[in-house]
Amino acid sequence: MNRAFWYFLSLQLFKERSKHLTIIVISILLIFILSSVLFISSSIRFSLEQTLKPQPDFVISRLQGGVNRSTPIEWSDELFDIYGVTKVTPRVYGRYFFRPKGKSFLIMGIDAFEEESHKSLEKLIDSIDIKAFLTGNNMIVGEGVKEYLQKNFYNNSYKFLTPKGKFIDIKIAKIVPKETRLLSNDMIIMPIDLAREVLGYTQDEVTDIAFNVPNPDEWSNIEDKLLSLHYDLGVVDKNEVKKSYETLYNYKSGFFLIIFLILIMTFSLILYQRYNMVYSTEKREIGLLRALGWSINDVLRLKFMESFILIVTSYIIGIFIAYIFVYIYNAPLLKNIFLGGQNLQNSVSFIPIIDIATLSSIFLLYAVPFIIAVIVPVWRVSVTNPKEAML
Amino acid sequence: MIRVENLSKSFYHQQDESKILIDINLHIKRGECIILKGISGSGKTTLLSIIAGLDRPSKGKVLIDDEPISKLPDIFASKIRAKKIGMIFQHFNLFENLSVYENVTVPLIPSGLPLDDIYRAVDKSLKVANIYHKRSLVASRLSGGEKQRCAIARALVADPDIIVCDEPTANLDSQNSILFIETIKELHLMGKTIVIATHDPLFENLNFKSRIVPMFDGKIDE
Ligand SMILES: Nc1ncnc2c1ncn2[C@@H]1O[C@H](COP(=O)(O)OP(=O)(O)O)[C@@H](O)[C@H]1O
Ligand SMILES: [Mg+2]
Repeated sequence: MNRAFWYFLSLQLFKERSKHLTIIVISILLIFILSSVLFISSSIRFSLEQTLKPQPDFVISRLQGGVNRSTPIEWSDELFDIYGVTKVTPRVYGRYFFRPKGKSFLIMGIDAFEEESHKSLEKLIDSIDIKAFLTGNNMIVGEGVKEYLQKNFYNNSYKFLTPKGKFIDIKIAKIVPKETRLLSNDMIIMPIDLAREVLGYTQDEVTDIAFNVPNPDEWSNIEDKLLSLHYDLGVVDKNEVKKSYETLYNYKSGFFLIIFLILIMTFSLILYQRYNMVYSTEKREIGLLRALGWSINDVLRLKFMESFILIVTSYIIGIFIAYIFVYIYNAPLLKNIFLGGQNLQNSVSFIPIIDIATLSSIFLLYAVPFIIAVIVPVWRVSVTNPKEAML
Repeated sequence: MIRVENLSKSFYHQQDESKILIDINLHIKRGECIILKGISGSGKTTLLSIIAGLDRPSKGKVLIDDEPISKLPDIFASKIRAKKIGMIFQHFNLFENLSVYENVTVPLIPSGLPLDDIYRAVDKSLKVANIYHKRSLVASRLSGGEKQRCAIARALVADPDIIVCDEPTANLDSQNSILFIETIKELHLMGKTIVIATHDPLFENLNFKSRIVPMFDGKIDE
């Protein structure tokens, strides 16, 4: 492939650009839509994995009449006695409904004696003094909570109203950084005793008790044992949590199937148009090149490179626009389809995740059929209509 | 130079065979100017395309400098065509969106020559064909006569020994046709072997040495 060839290829591309314009524009659009959807879903999947990783294997709580009730803290002592159970953690959390607009946020209590959760908190927020945080009326809030409070002129603290009618003034000590936003957006973290007061638990009650079972073979065994302990004990394992998160994001999959079908149909139309273009407008050109001394291979090489460059260009532009659309402008419209009906949906932003494997398969799925749709008819024309240029 | 031996060509529509060229023998010597004369449909274009290695004969063969171009695989046939044959067509067949200059580069692109050598050959060829002054004009803007001269420059750029013209004056007015014949005369004087398929009576009385080969219904009456 020498300079003369490139010279002519650039002439072809540049001087015949109007011929390729429709195909380029539609290709960019298709790749843009496809990779936007991909970017959003891989970003969500990444956030899900991040949230699920530190989740406990099991959570038990008191279940009465199918409703979660506050759980007695003694149950955690019984858990310690079961072989294979580790990291038993009683937890206090719940939704708090704010007065002004009926908005709700998730309050989580942190235990002063819980080394494990301190570590994960420290990992989440650097430069935090956990001890100092836990001894005062402090809270750590998500980005969405902060925005909401500020909109209602609570810049430094908020007075929570307890179920007993008492006000507690709690200071905003920290804001959770952006990387964990998708799920901790609407979260408020505070010392466990404060959380009990705000949510209306007594000293010997918790919301639920989490624990791990490192050996997965024991899971069903332990689940059975737990259920036999108390008639009103409910148990949830990590897989169920995962499933419920997934359905939260996948319930629109029918919609995406339709988008996908439309993309495929449009792509087929492009292929069809490109295929016919060879017979309608390029047949003569091919015959002419042949008559001027080009071999069939020379013609194939020209057409191959021409298509390849068109695809690479459309691909790069499409991906680039998608990247800006999703990660910089936060995917207006598309986001509502993915996260529609979610609390705080508007302050969710996507973490840039580039899934190289999927991106390259998009490229191949686009490039291979496209190049075939060009090369096959070009070859056929070269072979079967040899004196086309002379007629 | 060019030897056509027992050449026949048929096209098939389902089972029907239509014989387009029937047992043609033709020997063209180096430097000769051949006028292949015949009415439309007599098979001239088909014969030229087989001589140039663009189409395959059904029977017989074509030798160019003793090489059987009609039997060689495409890569070799294309090489011979690129090196030895320059073509001029009835409809000029330029790349309408390219400039005169760019059009003339086309035959040399696959040659493997460095770009600078190609540019030099193009300049020279444009001057010979007397179209150098219009070199940066887009082909679609040219008049018929200018298009013809651009096509001549393109046919000459690889410095071929053989010039093949198919109905070269069919789309020219009489003045440009006479100019074209003048150019052919120059090429003849340069020693090129020239094959012209035409039914234009202008070629009947040329003021230089030529041989008229009448063609009728796919046969040559020699
Ligand atoms: N590819 C083809 N298939 C079938 N018939 C053809 C084909 N090419 C040419 N012909 C027929 O061969 C005859 C001679 O054509 P052509 O060589 O173009 O004659 P000329 O150039 O003398 O007008 C015509 O009757 C034409 O219809
Ligand atoms: Mg003809």
